[in-house]
Formats: sequence, structure tokens, C-alpha cells
Amino acid sequence: MKLISAVIRLFWMPITLVAGQLFSGAAVTTGPSARSLLTQAVLADGVVEKERLLKELVGYEDEIVEQVLGAWRGGAVFLYETNQSRIPFLLDTQSDTNGNAKGIRIEDGRFIELTAGSPAWFTPSELTPADADSSLRKAIKTTLDLYSLGHANPKLKLAAIVKLGQEQNANYLPHFQKRLQIETTPESRRALLEAIALTRTIDSDMKTRVAAIMDLGALRSLNSISLLRTMDDSARKDPGRFDPETTRALHHTRLTIENYMWWGNLWGTLFRGLSLSAVLLVAALGLAITFGLMGIINMAHGEFMMIGAYTTYVTQGCFDKWFGGTALGLNTYFPVAIVASFVVAALAGLLMERGIIQFLYRRPLESLLATWGVSLLLQQVFRHTFGAANVQVSSPSWLSGSWVLSDVPLAYNRLFVVLFAASTVLGVYLLLTRTSLGLLIRAVMQNRAMASCLGVKTSHVNMMTFALGSGLAGTAGACLSQIGNVGPSLGQSYIVDCFMVVVLGGIGNTLGTVSASLGVGVTDQILQPWLGAVMGKITVLAAIILFLQWRPAGLFATRSRSLD
Amino acid sequence: MHTFMKPKIHLSFLLAAAIGSAAAWSGTAAETVKVGILHSLSGTMAISETSLKDVLLFTFNEINKSGGIKAGDKNYLIEPVIVDPASNWPLFAEKAEQLLAKDKVSVVFGCWTSVSRKSVLPVFERLNGLLFYPVQYEGEELSKNIFYTAEAVNQQAIPAVDYMLAEGKKKFYLLGSDYVYPRTTNKILKQYLKSKGIPEEDIEEIYTPFGHTDYQTIVASIKKFTSGGKACVISTLNGDTNVPFFKEFANAGLTSENCPVVSFSISEDEFRGLPAKDLVGHLGCWTYFMSLKTSENSKFVKDFQTWLKDPKVTGIDYTVSGVDGKGRVTCSPMNLSRMGVHLWKQAVEKAGSFDVDKVRDALIGQKFKGPAGEVTMQANHHLVNNVYIGETLATGQFKIIKTFNGVGGEPFSEKFLGTKSASN
Repeated sequence: MKLISAVIRLFWMPITLVAGQLFSGAAVTTGPSARSLLTQAVLADGVVEKERLLKELVGYEDEIVEQVLGAWRGGAVFLYETNQSRIPFLLDTQSDTNGNAKGIRIEDGRFIELTAGSPAWFTPSELTPADADSSLRKAIKTTLDLYSLGHANPKLKLAAIVKLGQEQNANYLPHFQKRLQIETTPESRRALLEAIALTRTIDSDMKTRVAAIMDLGALRSLNSISLLRTMDDSARKDPGRFDPETTRALHHTRLTIENYMWWGNLWGTLFRGLSLSAVLLVAALGLAITFGLMGIINMAHGEFMMIGAYTTYVTQGCFDKWFGGTALGLNTYFPVAIVASFVVAALAGLLMERGIIQFLYRRPLESLLATWGVSLLLQQVFRHTFGAANVQVSSPSWLSGSWVLSDVPLAYNRLFVVLFAASTVLGVYLLLTRTSLGLLIRAVMQNRAMASCLGVKTSHVNMMTFALGSGLAGTAGACLSQIGNVGPSLGQSYIVDCFMVVVLGGIGNTLGTVSASLGVGVTDQILQPWLGAVMGKITVLAAIILFLQWRPAGLFATRSRSLD
Repeated sequence: MHTFMKPKIHLSFLLAAAIGSAAAWSGTAAETVKVGILHSLSGTMAISETSLKDVLLFTFNEINKSGGIKAGDKNYLIEPVIVDPASNWPLFAEKAEQLLAKDKVSVVFGCWTSVSRKSVLPVFERLNGLLFYPVQYEGEELSKNIFYTAEAVNQQAIPAVDYMLAEGKKKFYLLGSDYVYPRTTNKILKQYLKSKGIPEEDIEEIYTPFGHTDYQTIVASIKKFTSGGKACVISTLNGDTNVPFFKEFANAGLTSENCPVVSFSISEDEFRGLPAKDLVGHLGCWTYFMSLKTSENSKFVKDFQTWLKDPKVTGIDYTVSGVDGKGRVTCSPMNLSRMGVHLWKQAVEKAGSFDVDKVRDALIGQKFKGPAGEVTMQANHHLVNNVYIGETLATGQFKIIKTFNGVGGEPFSEKFLGTKSASN
């Protein structure tokens, strides 16, 4: 039955096209080439004519369609104007040292030549892009979406299907069905089914409509919930609005999806809480060692994070230069940057320990003031070297975007921070418990005098421990450069949170730091949707203060002579 | 102070020479008038306000080069007096007092944040000073001692929302930093949207603290908000919180096509520290864009770039320092700062005196043809200005997609909302 109607639609196509109803056809493969149509579209006078030509492009499967339309939308199609003609062109991806590039004609894909054999070079900043206002860009996007139904990149394909489904345009149905027959990936099949059902909820035939609504419920379609809600509400207000079957189906489907959303919300909140906890943990872990284990109130902890973040920035710059600005450089710099930021921050920590802190082990107040001084000094040094404005650290492509798990987007950079936090904690734990350095560190931290009596070079151990803590702060900076700003005041925005987490967890207890960051992170994310970001934060802080009144030593109090 | 008394006969000769050519170039010192610059050159706001100091010095140079200001029968060159209130609101009031009482400046150009303006307002009213304020603000204020060249709410937020309504948007997510400008603006916008038939449940109003970095929850709620389509975000987020917000926004799969963001606090100058590629396609709304194609604008941009290479104020013994010429752009607050100086100059010339009361009267009705079209000072101390909506390009520039001509600034929302009261 459905198939037949689709076939009929196909036959009606030429007539509807003539009638001016567009976007209705399936593949049109005869007629002018995609390249010449594109050229005409760019050159056409007036938005109406441009849009008409764009619509004609629907169904072409030539890659050039996507390339040119994408460039047009992004302002990268230019016009080469001579006295006799106007030639639309794209810039070659290869550019010379001045950033100039050759122009590729859209019409035939050849370079624009001044005289035979000598291609013209263009400076990108001096070119004016071909006009594309917002309504035209919308038309370009629709053409691109229809093109993208068969796109090689599954992500783009999925986005296109969802978008077109939302439009509830019955003209798209044949496109969806045609695609569904050949589609193999499960997500795209699901999205296609959803798009078809969504479009059919406004079908005039009652059975089709009810089936479509039930389909949406079975698919747990979040994209359709607001539509279903409006329909259900209006059905309740005015019982005669739909027939009883439709009303029942609407109500049932709405409940099914809302129930599903509730669980999705819970799971999303948990993930967001976990990810915020990971950020806090990564930032505070270094401090848990320098402040928690060694007892140094290190106000410059935030600035070691800043050192790490700037090291990432510099590494990115170096890779950019070595790989000539290609994507390879952008995609590979980050692992190197993490290592580099550890080394640089650890060295800075080493210097600070030798230069200042080693003289202040017995004078905590002075160490507070001295490290605060260092923090101001470092901030100013970086402000002078790199400028007061924030610097831009780009995310590698494998850290952009998200992985969608039961409709909750898990951003790759957040997932990375969670994994990174987990592995750092594990690493620190193994280092402290399974290595001889760890044994020495624990011995010195528990009882410095006794360790010294037993022949441990406590000053060396102090130095190594402080360097380790600073190095961890550095990697935290590298990590945070992927989710926030990199600027001279980066450290300032995290230092309070770091101390809060370490104090709450219990000084001298790494496990405490882990649980405190988990607690703070998850609580914050649970409260935020109800109280808003400002009140949420205030509430968490107030709760921490109250908690510390009740248990001044934090979650896990460590009993140790040196801390008494 | 570099005011030298000159023999009378010499002066009239000088004045004659000054017409057409620059007095300063004759190598002899002329009369000077002191003009105050009250912008933070250190602290959090320095990043934005330093640009305004630069453009003011550039404008003073521009005026001095063309002979200075003619008040009565004398020509005066502008002598800048720069103070640094260091992003510290109470210090703004102290520095304003210093400029007016000690340095005796004729006019002050300054302030960025509303709280700094509120802090200096009593000082200017007590000492009867004159302040030009160039940054978009929330309105609901009118002092006889302040001229607001800035965009009022009906010159930025309202046109932007009108544009979104015309684009068929039905759901509005109002997101802002937590301080007076976003809160007041959103309050007015909410009232305006309701008057346009947008139901309460389709308007969401959310604030985040300064320096907020965790936008997960907010982006998740925006994503839910957009699930039915036809939604947009009106953002009054300030400064660098925009980076984590737009990163999270893009990572969640939201784009300018399925949910455009209109930002009121991001101009070309902010893109010096913001990755523009994360914002491509999102919108801005200002009374000036660097990409405007007028002859006045290309001259302004070119002259400013040339001046940055050799920053100086012609004609007076004054060294300009601390100007960073790298990657500089022009933006709306910079243009409006410059407009303020030119309008003040014209008013002084009309009044024939630097007297604050006389200049204030002369300012009303002053017109100046600037880079973004002609501006006119209204009796309510706000400008009639053209409003533009622009789309962010990857270069950090804006492509203008809509123009509203000759919008008169109106500080009080009840006037343009037609209601009794929108303020508390």
C-alpha cells in the first residue's frame, strides 16, 4: 500500500515540478551537468532564480555539488570579473608562502589563467565572496541536506535526515524511502524511520497517522516530543480535534517518550557530574600532593596549570609550523603537548622548590606569602610574553564533537578528561604504593626526621615530590585548554576550587580528593537545572562550609604526626 | 601643562595660518584644552577598554592635525589626560573626581561597564562635569551630565529580536552573565517578546557567573529547548566565558542553522581573543561594523591602522605609550567613542566656549556623518543611529545581513514598550 503511493508520487513528479512544487523529485540525472548548474546558480540574478537553480541540483550525486555549495555557504566562492565575463571560482587548497592561491573554475575544474599556461594567483583577504544571504543559505542548506541523505560521511547523513524529518514536508517522503531501501547503518535507518513517521503524523489517512505515532513511541523519538506534546495538549483541550484512535496513540506515545526522557536526563546529569568531577580532580590532584602530602600552601598551583596550558599553546604553534598548518599537525600535537606540559611545569616546580620552598618547610605562613608572590610574578611574566588577551588553543578533530549514547551527547573532550583523570589517579596511586620513590615519598611525608635518620635524602625526596605535584598541575593545564580559556588568569579561576576539593577531601588523603571532587561535581550538576548556575554554586559552597563545621578534617581525616 | 601665552599679534597671525593648514605643524605651541580619558588600562576590563583609549588618542590626533577646536576666536589643541581606574569600580569615582577637580578637564570620555558609570555619575553631577559613554547598555538612566553615544536597548536588543521573529523563530533562550546589563536587558526583552505573542513557556532566562567554565547543563537544556526547532539564543554573555560556551555548544551538535545565537557583547575587537571559527554563522547586532562599505569607514579604518604604526598626538608635547599595533580592528564602541569626540568638538565650536552648560545645550541636535552613516544627538542625550545585524565570518569579521535605518536611542523601556513600567 505504502509502496504503491510512493510509486504514484514518483509518476506525479514531472507534473508537480512543472507546477512549481519543488524538492519533490527523485534523482534527476539527465540535463545539464552539476558544474554548469552550479555556475549558473552563483551567477544568477536575484535570490528567487538562484533558489530555483539550487532546487534543480537536488538529486545530483556529484561530489562537486557538496564542495561548491559548502564553500558558497561559508563564503568561499569568489567571482573573477573581466570585461567580458564573470567566472565563479574556488581557491586551490595549495597556497604559496604569501598565502596566495590559484583559482579553480567551478565550470570545468581548471585553473583560471591570465594567458595560456600562466595561472592567476589570488590573495584570499582581498577577495569578496559571492553573495549568500540567510534565506539563500537556507536554500543551499536544504539542497545540501537532500544531497547529504546519501553522504559518505555517516554523521552528516544523520544530521540531514533528522533536519529534513523535522520539516514534515510530505515531498521528502520519496527521498526517505528510496534511501531506506539501500541504507545499511542502523543509526541512519532509525533516523529515516523516524523522519518518515514524523512526516506521516500529519497524514490525512487515520491509519497511517496512528501507525506513525505508535512508530515514534517505539523509536523513543525525542525529536518529535514537542510536536506530540502540542498535539496531545490540543487534543485534551478539544476532544473532537482528532479521532479517538489518534488521541489515544498520542497520549500513549507521549508518556512512553517522556518516561524515556526522564531516564535520559538522569543519565545525562550523572555524566555531566562525572565530567565536572573529573575536571576538578585533574586540577586538584597536583595540589593534593603538594598541599595534601607535603603541607605546602602553594598559592602558585594555578599558575603551574597556566604554564601547562601555555606549553600546549606553544607546542601547537610548533607543530603548526613543522607540519605546515596541515590537519596532521593539529591532530597529533596534543599527546606531545601533555608530556611537554608535564616536563615544563615539573621543571618550574623544581626551580621553585630549590629557590624558595626548601627554606620555608617549617614556616607555612611565609610559604603562603612567598608562593602567592610567585603566582603574581608568573602571571605578569606570561602577560608580558604572550599578551593580556587569551591565546587560542584549537582542539584536535578527535576531541571535537560528541558520541551520542541513548540520546545524551557525550562530548569527546569531556570523555577525554574523565579518562585522563582516571588514569592519572591510577598512575599516582601506583607510583606512591608500588615504586621505591613512592615508598620514600610516603616515609618522608609521614615522619621527615625519622626518614632522615634512616638515611633518606629528604631534601631530594621533597624536590621530586614537589616537581611531581607541579608536573601534574601542568598536565591539568593542558587538559583544561581543551574545554576552556587559556589566558594569564587561567590559574586564578581554578585555585579556589582546587583548595576546596583538597580540604573537603581531607588533607593528606588522595582518596579523599577523589571522593570530594566526585561529590562536588555531581551535586553541582544535580542542583544546576533547578537553581541555576549562580545559586547552584552558592549552595554547593554553603554546603561545604557547613560540612567542614561538622567535620573540620574533611571526608577522610588522616592521622599523622607531621600534621598534628 | 603646556599652555603658553602668546603675544596677541602673533596669535592672530597664527590663527590665519591655521585655516587650511595645521596649526601644530608651524612648530609653535597653540592654546590647549584638557580632555580626560577614564578607561581601565589594567585589570579584567583592560582588554576591551585599552582599545577605546587608543581610538580616543587617534581621534584627538585627527582633530589636532586639522587645526584643533575653534572656540570663540581661538584655536585649541586637545591635550589628553589619561587616568587608569584599573577595573576597580570605586576607583572610577576617585579618578573622575581627580580629572574634574584637580586636572580641570573640559570633558571626559570613559567607562565601559554599567557599574563603573553608576559609580562616577554622582561625581559628574556634583562637579557639573561632562561624560561621554560609548558602550551598549541597559538604559533606565538619564543624567544631564552624561551623553550616551552607546546603543540603548531599543537600538540593539529589540532590532535583533525583531530580526529573529521575522526569521520565524518562536522560542527564545535568553542567556547572560549575571550582572545589571543582561538582567535589565532580558527583563525588557521578555516583556517585549510577550507583547509579540510569545508565550511565557517559550522564553527561558538563564544567568551564569563571570568566569563560568562549565556550560554542560546549560547546553543540554538548550538542546532540549531546540528539539522542536524554531529556537534561538539571545546571549549577553560577557568576555571569555563565550569560549567554553561556544565550544560546548558546537560539541553538542548545535549550529547556527538549527539554533542561531545572537550575541550583544561580541564585537570585532573581542575576536582578537576568541576563536571565531567556533562562532561562524552566529549573529551580532551593533550600530557599526568594521566591514561596512562606506568611504568614511574605509578612511577611518585605514587612518587608524596608519596611526597605530606611529601613535602620537600632533601638536602637543605628549608621548603615546602602550599601544599594541598587532592585529588591530575597529568595532562599535570604538566608533562611538570617536563619534562622541567629534560631536563634542562641533558643540564647542557652536557654543564658542568650553563651558559645560553651554556645550550641553549646543550638543542637542548636533549631526555628524560617521563611518556607519549620519548620527544625530537627541534631546534625551542618546543618538539616532543606523542599526546593523551581521553574521560572523571565520575571519572574525561580520557580514552585514540587515540594516535598520535611523533608530533613535530611547533609554526608558516604558516609552518603546508602551507600558507603565519595566524597571523595578
